[in-house]
Amino acid sequence: MTGSKFVYVTFIRASAEKIFDALTKPEFTQKYWAGTRQESGWCVGSPWKAFAPNGRMVDDGEIVEIDRPNKLVFTWRNRLFADMEKEGFSRCTYLLEPSGSCTKLTLTHEIDVSPSKVIEGVSQGWPMVLASLKSFLETGAPLEESTKWPEGI
Amino acid sequence: MTGSSFIYVTYIRSPQQKVWDALTQPEFQKLYWFGGHQESTWKKGAEWKMFMPQHGLTDSGEILESDPPNRVVIKWRNEFRPNLKEEGYARCVMELAQEADLTKLTITHTIDKENSQFIQAVSGGWPRILSSLKTYLETDSAHGDTRSAAEQTHK
Repeated sequence: MTGSKFVYVTFIRASAEKIFDALTKPEFTQKYWAGTRQESGWCVGSPWKAFAPNGRMVDDGEIVEIDRPNKLVFTWRNRLFADMEKEGFSRCTYLLEPSGSCTKLTLTHEIDVSPSKVIEGVSQGWPMVLASLKSFLETGAPLEESTKWPEGI
Repeated sequence: MTGSSFIYVTYIRSPQQKVWDALTQPEFQKLYWFGGHQESTWKKGAEWKMFMPQHGLTDSGEILESDPPNRVVIKWRNEFRPNLKEEGYARCVMELAQEADLTKLTITHTIDKENSQFIQAVSGGWPRILSSLKTYLETDSAHGDTRSAAEQTHK
């Protein structure tokens, strides 16, 4: 098999519904995900777009599968950096499963390119985003470092 | 390169020394590590042992490097599941770094064996343990299902 993949599992003391909303709705993502927001009709085939705080589109793709609040699969192309954009569409999956007092969130981000700049990049980014999501949902406060769009980008 | 590895990075809103203490002191470990605890002086060359309430000794090894509160390297072998024990010693590196009000914690668990069942097992355990550690340090209460080994089988 060729390709690159990043998998990350975290357990969050919140319901799957709350986590699903926090991953997809602008009023939540803007709080912990570098000020970004996503736009989509959230149906199979709907376009999916992510925007930086200044309104610039930074990623785009399409919803492949949606089963709220258990699973979301969408394609994801980086539009910010030429070397990542030319790798084409990656595929991102959120899987949410109940686990005792928590919800288990499994993130899988993969692409049919090896080695991949996209997967190298998201491997650096996801741990902070998901750590901040967890803090945001469990304490009401995201991690400060994750709230601002990086300077100079 | 041959071998298997598991790498996990998380960010915890807590001082580095507190994260170090929570990782190395039994009274804290028991609160978020499936009820288990570890015994070691955490000095280079010291013995290292892990105990779980329902199994007794589950893992043992030796401290290979120690630089509190920044880094520790543990030679680590499972002792209670024959298929894991026969894979021999793995190496676990815990690295901590203060970044503003956060501690970045990186766990790298490796073994010189392809398709390692031991690495597969710890890949299931670490996200639970580290999620609960983060919750414990940020909210003062660990996840219910990692507080007591009786509620959650140690896999």
